Amino acid sequence: MDQKPQDDIDFLEPSVLLDETHYQEGFKNGYNDGLVSGKEEGRQVGLKNGFQVGEELGFYQGCVDVWMSVICIDHNAFSARIRKNIEQLAALVRSYPLYDPEDEQIQDIMEKIRLKFRVITANLGAKLEYEGRPASSKHDVEDL
Amino acid sequence: MDGGGVAELREAHRLTGHSDRVWSLEWNPSPGAGASPVLASCGGDKAVRIWKRAADGAWHCSDVLEDTHNRTVRSCAWSPDGKLLATASFDSTTAIWEYSGGDFECVATLEGHENEVKSVSWSPSGSLLATCSRDKTVWIWEMQPGNEYECVAVLQGHTQDVKMVQWHPFLDVLVSVSYDNSIRVWADDGDDEWHCVQILTEADNCGHSSTVWALSFNQKGDRMVTCSDDRTLKIWDTSADLSQPKTGGDHESWRHLSTLTGYQGRTIFSAHWSSEDIIASGAGDDTICLFTEKGSMVEGPSYRLILKKEKAHDMDINCVRWCPQDPRMLASASDDGTVKLWELRGNVLD
Repeated sequence: MDQKPQDDIDFLEPSVLLDETHYQEGFKNGYNDGLVSGKEEGRQVGLKNGFQVGEELGFYQGCVDVWMSVICIDHNAFSARIRKNIEQLAALVRSYPLYDPEDEQIQDIMEKIRLKFRVITANLGAKLEYEGRPASSKHDVEDL
Repeated sequence: MDGGGVAELREAHRLTGHSDRVWSLEWNPSPGAGASPVLASCGGDKAVRIWKRAADGAWHCSDVLEDTHNRTVRSCAWSPDGKLLATASFDSTTAIWEYSGGDFECVATLEGHENEVKSVSWSPSGSLLATCSRDKTVWIWEMQPGNEYECVAVLQGHTQDVKMVQWHPFLDVLVSVSYDNSIRVWADDGDDEWHCVQILTEADNCGHSSTVWALSFNQKGDRMVTCSDDRTLKIWDTSADLSQPKTGGDHESWRHLSTLTGYQGRTIFSAHWSSEDIIASGAGDDTICLFTEKGSMVEGPSYRLILKKEKAHDMDINCVRWCPQDPRMLASASDDGTVKLWELRGNVLD
């Protein structure tokens, strides 16, 4: 028999829950805004990163194409070891998972590609370098 | 020759000529039948000097190799047949010199490292050359006909400056030491594929706790000494043949035998194992220490100090090398710009 009139509960409730409703609305707005700007930012980062990776891989593929053409014309232009290294570089570049940026191995494969490229250019005596990334020498201080 | 008496290291000759610190020394392993020993030294003055002993016993500088490197020459190494000298420089190149007609001629230049080359070493077969650099890599080169050198492999693994590389005395196994405190052992699978087959660290192997500066094998190849910024020398059992690719579960590896500590108060920059099994070490406290095996104890071999030469030089000692033709003669190089030749006299055995 101790029942409050329905009116009391109804009229108090929105006031009590005002904090909560404002919070929820704010959160929803923020979330939606975030979704939009996050997607846009992600798109920019993805484009930038994708461009960098693509440009670097394209550089190595281009070099491989030139060298392979030389070998086609003159099979003995390079030594057997250099030929093998060029073939290994071609295989490495082909194996890079371009469509799976989440693949754990991408860093590893890129390192192998860069290393193989250095071996080949050292042997060809070619001062050829992918200009896009900083070399270690520019940052460190000389020690003994 | 020995006669007895207390062991002492007597300064026999002082070689001056370098105009800056002398970094490294190497005795020619094959100077020719009947010829006197030949010593190469290199340093901050961008030059390499060749020293020979005249008939009257005095040492003189017979050749100066300059105008090739345009920065410090940090290390040099003779080929096993004594006909070629490789010089490694801060200018990021390694030059190969040939001694012909009484003159040294630069016949090849190896380029590839991104910055300062710290060390160079010839394989026992004479066909492979290893170099290492501040760029954290180790490069292996193969000598081809006509003074051509081909890069066989670039070894990545060290996380910091690599200070020295040295081949095993008769196996195709390469060891590198680094500012990253580790010692790495490299071998190939027979097809130009070189891998790191062992890493000796502080955590797993009782390894060094600071920069490892140098290493040296004994003549038999079953012992190696390393020296470090942590002011210790460590002796390793290197009898396991790591040049063979492992099959099955047999994982023999190199292991720590002994640590010599408390003898030198600063960084030990160089250590060298003589053919008579005496270990010489040179340090930043200007001292040279000599150690030998104490005889096999139950727990394994241990080492004792033969003598400590204080104020051997006026400044840091960068390199110590025993003469292969006279195992009681020791050469030392220092920041003070001089090279000294020492004679070990007296009773060094127990």
